[in-house]
Amino acid sequence: MFTSLVERMQPTTDNGRTFARYSGILAVLVVAWLIPNYIATSTEGPLPLFTVVLCAVYALFALGLNIVVGFAGLLDLGYVAFFLFGAYTSAWLMSDFFYQVNPRDPSDKQFSFSVHFLSTASSKIAGIHLSFWIVIIAAAAIAAVAGLVIGAPTLRLKSDYLALVTLGFGEILPEVFRNGDNVAGYNLTNGTKGIGPVDRIGMGFLDKLPGIPSTIVSSDYKTKYYVILLFCALFMYASIKLRDGRLGRAWMAIREDELAASLMGVPLMRTKLWSYAVGAIAGGVGGAFYATIVGTVNVDNFTFSFSIIVLCAVILGGMGNVWGAVLGGVAITWFNYTGLVYIGAQVNKGLGTHINLKNYEFMFFGFVLVLMMLFRPEGFIPAARSKQLKKADKQVQSIETAGVES
Amino acid sequence: MATAERTAPRFKVESLLGMAVLTAAVAWIIWSFSSGPVIFTQVLTIGLSNGALYALIALGYTMVYGIIELINFAHGDLFMLGSVIGAIFLEEWLGQTKSSPKAWLILALTMLFAMAACALINMFIEKVAYRRLRNAPKLAPLITAVGVSFILQNVGILMNGSAPHSRTSVLPSSSLELGPIEVRVKYIVVVAVTVPLLLLMTWIVQKTRVGKAMRATAQDRDASLLMGINVDRIISFTFALGGALAGAAGVLFLEVNQQTRYDAGFRLGLIAFTAAVLGGVGNLVGAVVGGVLLGVIQALNDGAPHFFGQQWTQTVMFSILIIMVIFRPGGIFGKHQQEKV
Amino acid sequence: MTENLLDARAVRVQFGGLVAVNDVDFNIPTGSIVALIGPNGAGKTTFFNVLTGLYTPSHGQVDFDGKSVLGVAPHKIAASGMARTFQNIRLFGAMTASENVMVAMHPHLKSGVLSTIVRTPKQRREERDARLMAKELLEFVGIAGVDDEFAKNLPYGDQRRLEVARALALRPKLLLLDEPTAGMNPQESATFTQFVHRVRDQRGVTVLLIEHDMKVVMGVSERITVLEYGSKIAEGTPQDIRSDQRVIEAYLGKSGTEAAK
Repeated sequence: MFTSLVERMQPTTDNGRTFARYSGILAVLVVAWLIPNYIATSTEGPLPLFTVVLCAVYALFALGLNIVVGFAGLLDLGYVAFFLFGAYTSAWLMSDFFYQVNPRDPSDKQFSFSVHFLSTASSKIAGIHLSFWIVIIAAAAIAAVAGLVIGAPTLRLKSDYLALVTLGFGEILPEVFRNGDNVAGYNLTNGTKGIGPVDRIGMGFLDKLPGIPSTIVSSDYKTKYYVILLFCALFMYASIKLRDGRLGRAWMAIREDELAASLMGVPLMRTKLWSYAVGAIAGGVGGAFYATIVGTVNVDNFTFSFSIIVLCAVILGGMGNVWGAVLGGVAITWFNYTGLVYIGAQVNKGLGTHINLKNYEFMFFGFVLVLMMLFRPEGFIPAARSKQLKKADKQVQSIETAGVES
Repeated sequence: MATAERTAPRFKVESLLGMAVLTAAVAWIIWSFSSGPVIFTQVLTIGLSNGALYALIALGYTMVYGIIELINFAHGDLFMLGSVIGAIFLEEWLGQTKSSPKAWLILALTMLFAMAACALINMFIEKVAYRRLRNAPKLAPLITAVGVSFILQNVGILMNGSAPHSRTSVLPSSSLELGPIEVRVKYIVVVAVTVPLLLLMTWIVQKTRVGKAMRATAQDRDASLLMGINVDRIISFTFALGGALAGAAGVLFLEVNQQTRYDAGFRLGLIAFTAAVLGGVGNLVGAVVGGVLLGVIQALNDGAPHFFGQQWTQTVMFSILIIMVIFRPGGIFGKHQQEKV
Repeated sequence: MTENLLDARAVRVQFGGLVAVNDVDFNIPTGSIVALIGPNGAGKTTFFNVLTGLYTPSHGQVDFDGKSVLGVAPHKIAASGMARTFQNIRLFGAMTASENVMVAMHPHLKSGVLSTIVRTPKQRREERDARLMAKELLEFVGIAGVDDEFAKNLPYGDQRRLEVARALALRPKLLLLDEPTAGMNPQESATFTQFVHRVRDQRGVTVLLIEHDMKVVMGVSERITVLEYGSKIAEGTPQDIRSDQRVIEAYLGKSGTEAAK
C-alpha cells in the first residue's frame, strides 16, 4: 500500500502523466492563441480585448510576485515599485519626454536629446526613441537592480517587518517620482502630469520583412496580446524550471524554515535576493509593456492597491503555484476591469437599482484575502504539493481518530 | 532562554553612524529654530498634538504585536472608522455643529461612544478573523490583516462616501497667545485628553489583574494558559483596549481636521506603526515617545524653516521606518532579540 | 592535517547576566565519536549553536578544521563541513524527503539561474546525480523508498533519520547530533549505536552528539564531556565518566548519591 502511494506521487517520472501534462499545456496555449479571434475588439461587453490584454499583463505580474511570496515565502507589499520602474523605463526611452520638457522659466535647465534606434516613432520627433525590445531588456535590468537595492538592506528582517518595509518603499517611490519634476532644476519624471505618448511596439528592421505586421499600432490590441502572451509563456517556463531546480529548493527551504536552511548551507541573503531580482524582472517587463498599451505613464497609477491586487491574484491561485498565479491574475483582472462593472450593470438592470459596484472593488479584494486565508489558504488551484499534503493530513487525522488506544 | 545579543563589530560602526545622524538632526533643528523661532515653536505645538494622536494609535499596534506578534494592518482603518462614527454621532444624530459648553459635554459622550464602538469592532475582528489563524503560518494572519484593512476602508466608504466629507468642530477655534506664539485651543484639548488616557492605559497594564494577565500572556501564551489565565479573553481585551484608543484618536482627529475621509487610516496608520517601531514594538512607553517624536518630526518637516516641506512627508516618515527597522529593529530603547533554536 | 578536527578554547556565552557556557575547553579528535552530556539547561545546545555559527561567544576561540569559525556566517560553516540535526526536528515539512536531502547539497551544486532555466546538459546531469545521491542517503539511514513522501507526513522515527540523511548530504567532516534518540524506543536506540559507527566508519565522518540516554552514550562514544551549569565538570572515556563522583552528583543530586551508597 505504501509503494502505491509513492507511485501516485511521482507524476514527473510517469510517462503517461508527462504526456498528459504536455498536451494540457499545448491545449491551453492553443486556446490562448485563438482567443482574440473569437472576441469583439470593442471595449464594451463582458470580455473586451483590452481587458484580455490587461489580464495577460497581470498574469505576468502575478507570476513575478509568486516567486517572491509563493516560492520564497517573503511577503512583499511593495511590488508596485517594480511596476513603476518598468513603466518609467518605457516612458523615458520611448517618448519625446527628454526633449519636450518645457522650461518653466528660461533659467530652468532641460535635457534635450534626440536618439532613434529601430523605433516606430518618426525620426522627425525628438527625444529618446529606442526599440521596444531593447527597452524591455533595459526595464528588466533596471527592475532587477531595484529589487537588489530594495532587497539588500531589508531581507535581513523578519517576515512581518519585511512586509512593512516593502510597503514603505512602495509608498516612498511614487512620492519621489511625483516630486521628481524638479531634481536640482532638472525635470526627470514630469511630476503629476505624467509622460506620454509612449511609442508603439515595433519589430525594428524586421518591420520591412514580408509577413510581419508593419508596426504594432497602438489600437491593435491583438498583436500586443501576442507579445504579452509570449512574455507570460517564457516566464511561466522559467518559473517552473527554477522551482524544480537548485534555487527553487533553496527558496522553499527558506520558506519552510529559514534557520534550518542556513544551517544546511543555503546562503540566505543571496537566495532571497535572487527571488527578489527574478520577481522584479517580471514586474519590470510587465510595467514596460503596460506603458506601451496605455500610452502614458502617470505616477497616480502606482499605488498600494496595485500591490494588493497582484497579491490577491497569487493567493487566489494558490501561493507557489505557477498556473494558479496565471489564472488568479486573469480572474482578478477581468473582475477588476470589466466583471465588476458588467455584473453591476446587469444587477442594476435586473433590480432597477443604482449601485455602483466599482466603488466597492476593494471590499471584494479585502474579502478575497480574508476568506481565502481563513478557509482556503492553499488557494483554488493549490500547488500539487499542498494538495497532496492536505490529503495526507486527512489520512493521518483519520488514522489518529481511529486508533484512539495508541 | 536562548536569546543572545550579537556582538559583531558591525554594530559599533552602526552606533557611531547613529550618533552622527543624531548630531546632524540636532544641528538641523537648531538651525531651523534660529531662522524662525516663532514659526518653529508654533509648528512644534502642532507636532505635539499630532504626536499625541500617533501615540494613541501606536499603542494599539504595539499592544497587539506584544501579545500575538501580529502587525495589525487594519488598526489605522479602525481609527478612521472611529472618526467617521464620531462625526455621524455628533453631527448627524445629535446635531452638534457649534461650539458651546453643552456641545463640549456631548463631545465627551461622542468620544466614549466612538471608543466603545471601535473596541467592539476590534474584538469582533479578532474573534472572526485572527483567532482562527493563531497557529497558522505567520504569513496568513498578516495577509488577513491587510484584507481586513481593505474591508474597513470600504465600510468607511459606505458610511462616509468616497470623497472627503467636511465636518465642523465643536471646539472653539480661538487661540491662546503666549507672547508672540499662538497656540490653537484644539491642540491643547488634544494633549489634555490624550495624557489622561495614556496614564489610564499604563495603570491598567501595570496595576490591574487584567493587565498582569496581559503581560503574562505576552511573555508566554502556553504557560499563561496553564496558570489558568483565559488567554482568549485576554487577547480579546487587548484588542478592545487598542480599539478604544483608536476610537478616541479618531474623534480627536475629527475635531482637529474637521474632515472625515475613508482613506485617512492607511497613511496615518502607517505613521503610527512607524511610531511603534521607533519606540520598540511591544514597548508601551516607547510607542508614546515614538508617537510624539514622529508628530514633531512631521510638523517640523511640513512647516518649519529649512525642512523638506509637505510634499516629502511620506518619504521622510517611511524613510525613518525603513532605517529604524533595518538598523535598530528593537527601537530606540530596545534590544534586538534572536530566534530560539 | 590537524589532529583535532575541532578545537574550542575558553568558550564563554552570556545572555545578559546568565552564563550559559562558562569558559569551556573542548576538542574533538578527527575520526572520533564524542558525546556531550549534562542535565537539562547545562548549555549543551547553546554550545552547538556556537559551533554552527548561530551565537557568537563573548570570548574564546573555536577552530574547525584548522580555521576559526567565529564571526563566520552559519551557511559558510555548514558548507565547510559541519552539519547538524536539531533537538526538536526542523525538517522542511512541505518538501519531499528527497528534496530535503537535496537542499543540503546546495553548496556542492553549481547550477545558476540561467543554466537552470535553459536546462543545460550539465545542469540536468547534476540534478540527476543529486537525486540519486539523495536516494542513496535515504537508503543509508534506513528509510529507502520514502523519497517522494513529504517530510511532515513521515513517522517520527523516520523524520529523525531524514534529518541525519539531510545533514550527511552536506558531506560533513563533523556531524553534530542533538538528542538523536529522543522519542525512539529501546530497540531503535540500540540499532542507533551501530548506525553511528557506520556513519563514522563508512563515511569517515567525525561525530559529536548530545544525548540523554546513558545506554546509548556509554555504548557509542569514545570520549565523553560532561557539562553542568555551563561549566565542564568532567571529561574522559565512558569508564572514567561512569565512576566520576561529580557526574553522579550532577545527575542524581547529593542525596541521590547518598541513597545509592
